[in-house]
Amino acid sequence: MSLLDNPFTSPNGKKITCLEMLQAILDGDATEEQQQYFRKHMDECMPCYRSHELDMQIKQLIKSKCCGDHVPPDLVEKIKSQVNSIS
Amino acid sequence: MEETPREKYTEKEKVSVFNNEFLPHINSMYNFGYRLTLDEDDAKDLVQDTYLKAYRFIESFQKGTNAKAWLFRILKNSFINDYRKKSKEPNKVDYQEVESYYNSDDVDRQITTDLRVESLQDMIGDEISNALNSLDVDFRTVIILCDLEGFKYDEMAKILDIPIGTVRSRLHRARNLLKDKLSVYAKKMGYKNP
Repeated sequence: MSLLDNPFTSPNGKKITCLEMLQAILDGDATEEQQQYFRKHMDECMPCYRSHELDMQIKQLIKSKCCGDHVPPDLVEKIKSQVNSIS
Repeated sequence: MEETPREKYTEKEKVSVFNNEFLPHINSMYNFGYRLTLDEDDAKDLVQDTYLKAYRFIESFQKGTNAKAWLFRILKNSFINDYRKKSKEPNKVDYQEVESYYNSDDVDRQITTDLRVESLQDMIGDEISNALNSLDVDFRTVIILCDLEGFKYDEMAKILDIPIGTVRSRLHRARNLLKDKLSVYAKKMGYKNP
C-alpha cells in the first residue's frame, strides 16, 4: 500500500493529522487497513513511533493493573436471591 | 432507560436472559463500579442495584443486542442519580485542572513531555491504579470503557449519553491527564527530564 493512499482520509478529502491517526489507533477505532497504513507510517515518522510506543504501553499497563478487582464471593448469590424474591 | 421497543418475555425467559446474558458480566460490572466509587461496599451496592434494575426493566432489553453495554449504561446512570446524590462526600472535581486543560493549547499536543517508556516499566500496579483513580470521574470513565472494557466510540456514546465527538475529545484529554499524573510519579521515582 502506498503512503499516498491514506485510508484515514475522510470522504470530503480532508487530510488527517498524525494526532488523529494515533488517536483512532489507540481508541480501537481504526480498521485493519488503517492499522496497516499506520504501521508503515511509523517507519517514517519518529514522533508517531514514540507516541504510539508510550501510549500503547500505558494502555496495556492500565489493562493489566486495573482489572480483576475481586468480586465479593457472596455478591452473585445475593443478587440471585433478590431477583428471585421479586420475580 | 429506553422505553421502546419492548420485548415480551415469559418468566422462564427472563431468568434465562438474566443468568446467561447479564450475570456473566459481573466481573466487569464490579470493576466498573469499584473504579467509579473507589469503595468496595459502594461498588457492591451499586452493582446489586444495577442488576435489580436490569431485571425489573428487562423488557426494555432487546434480545440480540449488546447486554454488556446496556448494563454499563444502567450502572453509570445509577451512579449519577443515586450514588452521587447520597454520597457524603460530594464529587470532587479538580476544576482548575479540568479548566486549564479545556482552555489550553496543550490539549492538542501530540507528545507529552518527559514521560518515557523506560520509566513506565519500573512502575508497579499501585502507581498506575492511583493515577487512574485520581482522574476526575468523567475522564476516568472513558479510559475504563475504552482501555479496560474495549467499548467502541458508538457504544461509549450510548452508555454515557454524549455525542461521539465528545467521547473522542474526552478520551484524548483523559489520556493526556493520565500521562501527566504518571509523569509526576516518574519524577518522584527519580527519572529526570530529558
